[in-house]
Amino acid sequence: MTRDQITRRHFLNFVGAVGGTTALYQAARALDLLPETGEMPQLDLKRVGRGEKRVLILGAGISGLTAAYELERAGYDCTILEASHRVGGRNITFRHGDVVDEMGYPQVVNFDDEPHLYFNGGAARIPGHHERAMHYCRVLGVELDIMANDNRLAWTQDDESFGGERLRVREFTTSARGFMSELMAKAVNANAFDQPLDADDQERLLAFIKAYGDLGDDYRFAGSSRAGYSSGGFLKHGELKPALEFKQLLNSRFWRMGMHFNEHVDWAAPLMTPRGGMDMIVRGFLNKLRAKPLLHAQVQAITLRDDGVEVVYHHRGERRKLSGDYCFNSIPSHFINGIPNNFSKDYVDALTAMRRGNFFKIGLQMKERFWERENIYGGISYTSQRINQIWYPSHGIFRKKGVVLGCYAFGPDQSNWFERMPPDQRIAEAAKMGEKLHPGYTDMIENGISVAWGRMNHMMGCGNRFEEDQEHLFRKVQAPEGRHWMIGDQISFHSSWQEGAFASALHAVQDLDQRVRAEAGQG
Amino acid sequence: MRTMTRTTIALLCLLPLAATADEPVIPAQKYVYCTVCHGIAMGGNVVIAAPRLAGMDEWYVARQLEAFKLGWRGVHPDDAGGHEMRPMAAILDDAEIEEVSAYVAAVSAPPPPLTLDGDAQRGAAIYASCGACHGADGQGNEALGGPPLTGLNDWYLQTQLEHYVSGVRGSHPDDDYGQQMRAAAELLPNEQAIADVVRYISTLGSN
Repeated sequence: MTRDQITRRHFLNFVGAVGGTTALYQAARALDLLPETGEMPQLDLKRVGRGEKRVLILGAGISGLTAAYELERAGYDCTILEASHRVGGRNITFRHGDVVDEMGYPQVVNFDDEPHLYFNGGAARIPGHHERAMHYCRVLGVELDIMANDNRLAWTQDDESFGGERLRVREFTTSARGFMSELMAKAVNANAFDQPLDADDQERLLAFIKAYGDLGDDYRFAGSSRAGYSSGGFLKHGELKPALEFKQLLNSRFWRMGMHFNEHVDWAAPLMTPRGGMDMIVRGFLNKLRAKPLLHAQVQAITLRDDGVEVVYHHRGERRKLSGDYCFNSIPSHFINGIPNNFSKDYVDALTAMRRGNFFKIGLQMKERFWERENIYGGISYTSQRINQIWYPSHGIFRKKGVVLGCYAFGPDQSNWFERMPPDQRIAEAAKMGEKLHPGYTDMIENGISVAWGRMNHMMGCGNRFEEDQEHLFRKVQAPEGRHWMIGDQISFHSSWQEGAFASALHAVQDLDQRVRAEAGQG
Repeated sequence: MRTMTRTTIALLCLLPLAATADEPVIPAQKYVYCTVCHGIAMGGNVVIAAPRLAGMDEWYVARQLEAFKLGWRGVHPDDAGGHEMRPMAAILDDAEIEEVSAYVAAVSAPPPPLTLDGDAQRGAAIYASCGACHGADGQGNEALGGPPLTGLNDWYLQTQLEHYVSGVRGSHPDDDYGQQMRAAAELLPNEQAIADVVRYISTLGSN
């Protein structure tokens, strides 16, 4: 065997022979055999015999369910403990009669009992490049629909520009691009580039700029049909709308937010969502799992042992103890400090360095689909007000009623502001803001719920993440502590996306597999 | 909506005197939510600014829950933690406040870790005037309305003293005890004095 022929497997066998299984496992981690690409990994887990290996899974969100699904397929026995009253974590679809289990403000969902009247309170969208999410939708038989995210006919409204009046997104975007193009054309003509352009390049660049902003032959922007016609266009000659005032465009915050959201890698069209609600993914897992998650089971203590992990939990007034060979833990990192454990100080320090987010959403049942009368079918309107966005359902077009997202708030100025109010007041405030986008909005609201992730029972936060310069801490919490792995979207660079939860669970599952192979001496 | 918690099956397993490390007190299902933030057995969680409450006096816990409910605490714009807490207290009726207070008093948790620096010796001198209401050993004095101070997180004591100084806490006209404490906190001239007295309190007794 020449040096070139030494495969990683051979190398690991060699290490295993010299240093034993622990060295083998450590070497596997160091070699980083586990893929870090965006691709759905090909899982080839070593099968274990029934009753041979037991894994305790803490939390029945997407990461916990994914881990259980893959481990069961490889023969592991899984026990899933879930502290809350339901399965799914932040994959949650609210329907008639459901409970919004917010601390101090429990709400009951009063949407009509109709299949199309639901609200995805957490995860709501899946882009095609989230390969793991797509993979599980495929294997679990979850039907997906295309969901409009970008809608040029939706509204943009900013209190600081255009007198606070609403504008169609297409009007704003068309004028903004037109002006930018005009400016660029002038720069080309003035030879303002550092890099010399030959005549052909210059011609092509000007053509590109003209196409980008829909300029006239004089390279001026004087309105474009992209913004819609002020009149005509079908049976009469279409009259263009005049260009918007550039200063007003600059004053608006729309170009900081919604205008470019759709360029974002995860929000670019088209997006998808499960038909009937995001929790179809959760149902898909439950249909396939042998282990049924135990609800209302709150973890009281986690003890790492040399040969396994011990977990104490409460269940309906009883205290019980479980032992497993391994433990996958998706409990939010900000709770770990409050749960007795024997983790190393470094590990706890890393976990507690993560910051919790507090996204806030409102779902409103509207008695009529008034937005459809404004030519809006799906998509998002943007406003500078604290509600930020209004989402129109892409499904149920032409039905009588619909559930819109009436607020998607982020951060202290927005989320905390809403969180501090009781639910009825939150909806009243969101209604007032909605009026600026849709006059008469308030009267259309039949009922609604607010989902304050920073206050949800057993959650108290979402989107946990480290600061930019804390990657070393991320590596710490991604690696196992003894036989215990932290999982969940929090252990990914895609926090607050289901893809992050899938990715972290699969990473941990593959890591466990490496260890089991090492322990079995098979390399 | 509010009736929901009441219809929840209340398996109240309060055994106030039986709390030992081996036989932990289990909260009734409807009060599990207290432990979500305040930690298992109310041991506290600094990450979400929820203080250790294990073993606090029942009467004091009840009084503070009332204070939150009445809006004496948890309404000031600068009191982020109080704002998070307030709705949890506001949802409780009188009987529930009694039950929760009994649970908090009955439970035991490991002593809080020291997280702040301060000079205990200097703090002892400052504490001399605190002891009048809170007891020489920080054991509290129900008759005077002074709660025990032992067993609390140092960071929580610090925050609350700062809140009294700044008026975030103890400013409501009906909150007599709060106002009393606010006046007392004015004797703390600066951050260092707060740090020192907190350090000294941390050396008192054990809970």
